[in-house]
Amino acid sequence: MAEVFDRYGRAVYSVALRILKDTGHAEDVMQEIFFQIWRNSDSFVQGRGSLGAWLVVVARNRSIDLLRRRKPVDSVDDVILASPGSLASEVEHNSMMEKVQKVLKDLPAEQQRSMELAFFEGLSHSEIAERTGDPLGTVKTRIRLALITLRKAFQS
Amino acid sequence: MTGNGHNTQEELASYAMQGLPPEESASIRAHLQTCVPCRTELAQVCGDLALLGLAVEQQPLPEGARERFLKRIAASPAVKPQEKLAEVTPIDVKTRRRGPGFWVPWVSAAAMAIVAISLGVQNKALNDELNDESNMVKNLAAQASRAQQVLEVLTAPSAQRVTLTEGKAPAQPSARATYLPDRGALILLATNLKPLPEGKAYELWVIPANGKAPVPAGLFHPDAVGTATLVLPPLPAGIAAKAFGVTIEKASGADSPTLPIILSGATGS
Repeated sequence: MAEVFDRYGRAVYSVALRILKDTGHAEDVMQEIFFQIWRNSDSFVQGRGSLGAWLVVVARNRSIDLLRRRKPVDSVDDVILASPGSLASEVEHNSMMEKVQKVLKDLPAEQQRSMELAFFEGLSHSEIAERTGDPLGTVKTRIRLALITLRKAFQS
Repeated sequence: MTGNGHNTQEELASYAMQGLPPEESASIRAHLQTCVPCRTELAQVCGDLALLGLAVEQQPLPEGARERFLKRIAASPAVKPQEKLAEVTPIDVKTRRRGPGFWVPWVSAAAMAIVAISLGVQNKALNDELNDESNMVKNLAAQASRAQQVLEVLTAPSAQRVTLTEGKAPAQPSARATYLPDRGALILLATNLKPLPEGKAYELWVIPANGKAPVPAGLFHPDAVGTATLVLPPLPAGIAAKAFGVTIEKASGADSPTLPIILSGATGS
């Protein structure tokens, strides 16, 4: 378990910190996720794809739950991920991170902003539309296009 | 929902990011129980979202975080759901009479045991289902690979494109638009287009069936032999089209089509 923590702890903590902007809360989220895995190893099954990818999605969801004071929604974590690849080594993780960062940087600014609000602030499409003043359909399209761009970059 | 009863990608992305009201989320969850294509697409969306998480700049862990974690797990052994059943202690009805307060923890423990059994069974069923889905994902990946090859043949600059005509008549400019309104997905393949003056571009327009203003669907330039493709330009989903048109516009595009319309075609629906 210590090995899993050493390998993925920073990734999980970094996602939580990015969302919560509070080191204490971010550590709480990280500790709780790894503790739950320790208590119940069935919470992750191989068929779900990469453990690292699954962990960051769970970290994101738990952090948003905390940010919005919501009750955790287990079922959303309970899906297979079409894995972006193995993240077993730090080199692989860094390489993946650089590639994603480049793709995100190349996205149009409004797509970046919509994804930022949806993923890191946990806003719904309607809330993003209200905040930015853009039509709801436009917000949906931007998020869809951003995800398509990201997916294509890793399929090619 | 799309016209064929599946969840749209936007809905699944919102669902995966927990951005839906509880009732909508429950509706999608119920649909996912019985729909393999939507579950597969959800897995893709979650994979995309994981990439966003993985792109976050790595931060050092707080000092002592590792030790705190190791200390915590050392004090709390791992437990499998099935093992929880062994923790349930039967209530001894022969013991002396006790006040209602005594029973509360035991009733809670029994209730938790029932929940644990239920979760254990549910978890096993889900694991089996997920393994089935893994095979399904592999099949879909193979199908996606073939679809990708088809797309590459259609759009590769090096592909030879020939328009077959009756007799020896010279080929005329033409284009074929393939459009899925519920996804806002469009592919245009144009041939024998005339070269454009400097600073100009061809622009495709979707003419909505509801009579609203034409929607710009993308700019394109023909290659040396007059061929051009437009693949999945950014279009809002849900615009029913009655026709498509191509005009010549300035290179940056226009808000409304400039006459004349070079090419046009009705959807026939």
